[in-house]
Amino acid sequence: MRKTEKSSKSARAKSSKVDRITLDIIENALRNARNEMDAVLFRSAMSPVIREQHDGFPMIATADGRMVVGQFGSYIAGFIRNWKRGINAGDVFLCSDPYKCDGAISHINDWLVLLPIFHSGELVGWASQFGHTIDIGGPVSGSLPTDATTIFGEGTRIPPIKLFSSGKLNEDVLDLILNNSRMPTMNYFDLMAIVAACRTAEKRVRELCDRVGKPLYASTCEALLDRTRRAMSQLISRNLPEHKVSFEDYIDDDGRGNGPYKMKLTIWREGDHGYFDWTGTDPQAPGPINFFLNEEMFKMFIGVYLIMVFDPQILFNDGFYPLLHVIMPEGTLIQPKFPAALGCRTHALTRLFDVLGGCLGANTPELSTAAGYGTSPYLLYNGYDEALEFFHLMEISFGGIPGRPFGDGMDAHSWWPLFENIPSEYLETYYPLTVLEYGSLMDSGGAGFFRGGNGVHKVYRFEADGEIAIHDDRDRSQPWGILNGLPGSSSTKTLVRANGETVLLPSKISQVKVSKGDQLIYRTAGGGGWKDPLDRPPERVHADVKGKLVSHEKARRDYGVVLDSQTLAVDIAATNELREKMRSSRGDSSTFTFGPVPRAIGLKNKEKRGKGQAV
Amino acid sequence: MTYRLGIDVGGTFTDFLLFNERTGAMQLTKVASTPADPSVGVLQGIRKIAKQAGIKANEISLILHGTTVATNAVLEGKGAKVGLITTRGFEQILHVARGQTPGPLAGWIIMTKPDPLAPLEFTRGISGRQDARGRLLVALDEAEVRVFITELHQAGVEALTVSLLNSYADPQVEQRIKAIATEMYDNLPVTISSDILPEFREYERTLTTVMNSYLQPMFRVYLNGMREKLVAGELRGTMSIVRSDGGVMSLEAAKDRPVNTLLSGPSGGAVASGYIGELTGYNNVLSFDMGGTSTDVAISYGGKPNVVRETRVGYYPVKSPSVDVRTVGAGGGSIAHVPLTGALRVGPQSASAVPGPACYGTGGTQPTVTDANVVLGYLPPMLLGGEMKLDTKLASEAVSTIASAMGMPLHDAAEGIYNIVNENMFGALRLVSVQKGYDPREFALVALGGAGPLHSNALSVLCGSWPSIIPPIPGVLSALGFLHSDIRNEFSRTVINTIDKMKGTEIKASLETLGKQARHWLTEEKIPARQQEIHYQVDLRYHRQGYEFPIDIDLTWLNGKHNFAPIIERFKKIHQQNYGFNINHPIEMVNLRAVAIGKVRKVELKKTKGRGRDPKKALVQKHRIYCQGGWLQASIYDRYRLRPGNEVVGAAVIVQNDSTTLILPGHVGKVDAYQNILIWPVKQGTGRKA
Repeated sequence: MRKTEKSSKSARAKSSKVDRITLDIIENALRNARNEMDAVLFRSAMSPVIREQHDGFPMIATADGRMVVGQFGSYIAGFIRNWKRGINAGDVFLCSDPYKCDGAISHINDWLVLLPIFHSGELVGWASQFGHTIDIGGPVSGSLPTDATTIFGEGTRIPPIKLFSSGKLNEDVLDLILNNSRMPTMNYFDLMAIVAACRTAEKRVRELCDRVGKPLYASTCEALLDRTRRAMSQLISRNLPEHKVSFEDYIDDDGRGNGPYKMKLTIWREGDHGYFDWTGTDPQAPGPINFFLNEEMFKMFIGVYLIMVFDPQILFNDGFYPLLHVIMPEGTLIQPKFPAALGCRTHALTRLFDVLGGCLGANTPELSTAAGYGTSPYLLYNGYDEALEFFHLMEISFGGIPGRPFGDGMDAHSWWPLFENIPSEYLETYYPLTVLEYGSLMDSGGAGFFRGGNGVHKVYRFEADGEIAIHDDRDRSQPWGILNGLPGSSSTKTLVRANGETVLLPSKISQVKVSKGDQLIYRTAGGGGWKDPLDRPPERVHADVKGKLVSHEKARRDYGVVLDSQTLAVDIAATNELREKMRSSRGDSSTFTFGPVPRAIGLKNKEKRGKGQAV
Repeated sequence: MTYRLGIDVGGTFTDFLLFNERTGAMQLTKVASTPADPSVGVLQGIRKIAKQAGIKANEISLILHGTTVATNAVLEGKGAKVGLITTRGFEQILHVARGQTPGPLAGWIIMTKPDPLAPLEFTRGISGRQDARGRLLVALDEAEVRVFITELHQAGVEALTVSLLNSYADPQVEQRIKAIATEMYDNLPVTISSDILPEFREYERTLTTVMNSYLQPMFRVYLNGMREKLVAGELRGTMSIVRSDGGVMSLEAAKDRPVNTLLSGPSGGAVASGYIGELTGYNNVLSFDMGGTSTDVAISYGGKPNVVRETRVGYYPVKSPSVDVRTVGAGGGSIAHVPLTGALRVGPQSASAVPGPACYGTGGTQPTVTDANVVLGYLPPMLLGGEMKLDTKLASEAVSTIASAMGMPLHDAAEGIYNIVNENMFGALRLVSVQKGYDPREFALVALGGAGPLHSNALSVLCGSWPSIIPPIPGVLSALGFLHSDIRNEFSRTVINTIDKMKGTEIKASLETLGKQARHWLTEEKIPARQQEIHYQVDLRYHRQGYEFPIDIDLTWLNGKHNFAPIIERFKKIHQQNYGFNINHPIEMVNLRAVAIGKVRKVELKKTKGRGRDPKKALVQKHRIYCQGGWLQASIYDRYRLRPGNEVVGAAVIVQNDSTTLILPGHVGKVDAYQNILIWPVKQGTGRKA
């Protein structure tokens, strides 16, 4: 456990000089700057993953590296501590090695850019953004081999380096890096777009310093941090239990036939301090699903979850870090030892939220949500097109959003903020494939008073020979429901060969050969339901049946709603009778409704779990 | 026949501005809107203003009207029952949308997503299928189509959209389905996506087309009502409707494409601001139109509003050429509150017209921006014209809830509210300026809307945009803008190929074809050839980038083979300006476009001679305001008694019927020959920028 205590006392003393309104005004200005970073990145980047899907995360931090605006929390303080070769105006840093930046980024596809912001010779802050680059070498196109056993088997790692040194681009290093990519132009574009986004933030922060003066800008940042700290202090006292509450959930497998993997979190509070203990989480996996969790980032996740309902307009920041204490045992799935493979960490990263949500919800389930599709499902497809040009596609899919106190979970939507799907017309224009079907899968959302969203149902036909890779989870487990809400359904991937042969694919696999005319049916998991489906107004169930989001059968089976088989009209009397019968025949309910615990896979190459890999 | 009439049909009121082309005189009036059939209110107003001016309605030669009918229908969910025919396997295209949930992390917890404008139960997927080049993969099954259309008609759909995957590449299948539907039910309005938006990205194209269908039946009623009244002989002039992009089109054209009027109202304001800017000698202006619940901001460069191809109406991203208007939930009625974090927030919730700000004394108790303005003395309790008395005591009570929540004195809290709402509007102004590579310091700022002039000086301080221009009639400026709108339409097609694989002559030929369509349309709109203008644009991006820039081009640039050099040069300049980098990489052409413009004769406003600098004849009374943490002496002036040449030194409050202007200390407001007030910092003087 690392120490993150800071002298918040001196910060508070300083911040008292800032008038409250200036504080709110600078907060607005910084929020605008952060939105501007996104706009610049999304519009100028080239790979669909960043540009159409928005897999990129911006941040603005104080001179000592604490995040004042952003969403993933700051990792800059750790970087500053470790960097010994000077930080000058005009420098731009680049890093992609999770082990060299305390897990600020968690797989080597994410390129992290850090830009120190100087104002008349003085360091006043940092701008940072990272984005998922499409290929960074290694044995498999896309650089996410599902069977890697060390990080050396995944691709090119970039330790922290100066991409620009005092304003000058380090072309030799850039050439070296790009030379290792299958898609050098795309990476170059994306990298320059990330730098452009950081420069935007740099401009805005300098303008703010011009406008209010450097000292006031600095103390305003402190005051913003302090404000979040005070708000969080209240939220912790109100929402965290004084006794220990544990929650556990599973990742299906590690891509090498091992699994399932348990993630377990225990939380409690002492005064206004919160404790988050990962003890009981399974040891690290031989395969690449390990998630090197950055402690600051985890604190940010906790904070965001707590505060979302109370002041969605707040500029969320690092200020509350000293109030949270995290225990992350080494050698586990969330704190693997170098050089464990990390490429497919997405599943653990997302499951973390299910487990965190479960813990926080145990005390106040009415205010909590069910579980969602619980990962970030990818399809990768590469080969040579008609013109014999190399192509490589990476597409991020979505799934069922959890049922929530606010309403139904959205069908086939992104759990990750601001991501968008790739238009099918875009896919068909630039890649040799045809999208035959794209929508949400009927009945896959868990029933509830507010139902879970349906998962994605998408059918592709490949129009060129090539290779595909699948990255998905919730294929053996189901997203849980809450307060009598039912679990969402699991995911499946089915390859239908041109000759009609059907192959059920595992949720994590790379280098699957496909031929022209083969079809892939990609279905992601549905979200869990929120509260009792027997209380859902029958007319809402009726509307879902008419819209083909829920079947006639499921309406009866899970919601107790009887519809006329011809007209689909609701039979009120029969519905009331059926619901009464269902209520009285079911047993006591617990807070959460889980699907069956996934069984161990036990494939032939099952490896020994536990110790982690020695160097 | 020397009268021109601008009409702004809003949700609550309809504004009328009658302009005498011979004398330059203007008449204003206002009537309550009649949402069930807006033509009723329009006609009432026309009679009223004609009577007021002592003329006959049939002396009006040109009627230009803008409307928020479409926007409100979408925001309030009051459009038609739309049926959608799409490609099989994509029936949930509107339901799944782009799959986006809002930020930050966990933003989905509080997301609201409306049901699709074409309900799932009225959506049918056909088996016919085209590939990305428009080639048929599966032929159209006409029998199946007929079954679907019959089902949808029986289910009572009032309008039909046909939007098929890849139809932008070849419209024939959609056109055939439209022909079948029209043959089956000639009363059913049918819109096909390749007609409305022949560009790729199926969700946006389908949404925009469905939006058109959603509005079509209502527009038929509305515009037929107008036409009947025209035909009945009471009116004789030409009547046109203002489009979202600031141009105008005939009522007939609007019936086919109501989606193009979604931002009709705000675009008039932007056009008018550009015009006011030109009049005062500032061709580059930022403008903000501050109303009760929200503020619309826009930018005009070189006298012309910036036109973009996508806009957002509520949840929906609509791809229709529109003035780049951004709306922020900051208006006079925006409510201030202090959440758990102890921060001061203003909006986006609004007290609207009912119950309204606390100071109206109509039952509102929550503190609004207007209440803060009353507490600070910026809005004097007795408004000129005396239509409404503002209750200072109720305003103070409301604002004091904020003061106690924040532990600060009443007037500081009020000033906080004033400053925060300004900052929110400033954020929106940045989106249309700095984010597009424009430096706001090179722009003047025009205030519109009843509430605008109270905040204009302060916003100019934030933006560095001088002068702050307060037009003579800020409350009805949109209607003035309509009088300046040219006839406008766009004709485009998608090509998608890298420039190195294209021939300039072929692109030129395609553009000329679009240009012919554009001329044909203008001729149909009865624009004489000498007033017709065609502009050409190509949309470019680096190969595989996702978003393109429209580049204005001259067709002669395309003479000779592969001669794209001037176009590439322009593209690189714009890319550099927006993103700060360029690269040696193939450039891709995405869309070709011909923009049809029919010029209308501009109205000439009347100039008045100066009467010296001293404004004392307009002085109403001495007053005081709270500003920058203290009380200041501030005189109240009557706007109608101010004369050109007068200089009002801040702090001062200038009152008129539809608005109140605040001049901050250290600033001076100068009245120009057109009765605009131009506010400058005292020390900056009135030096003009290039």
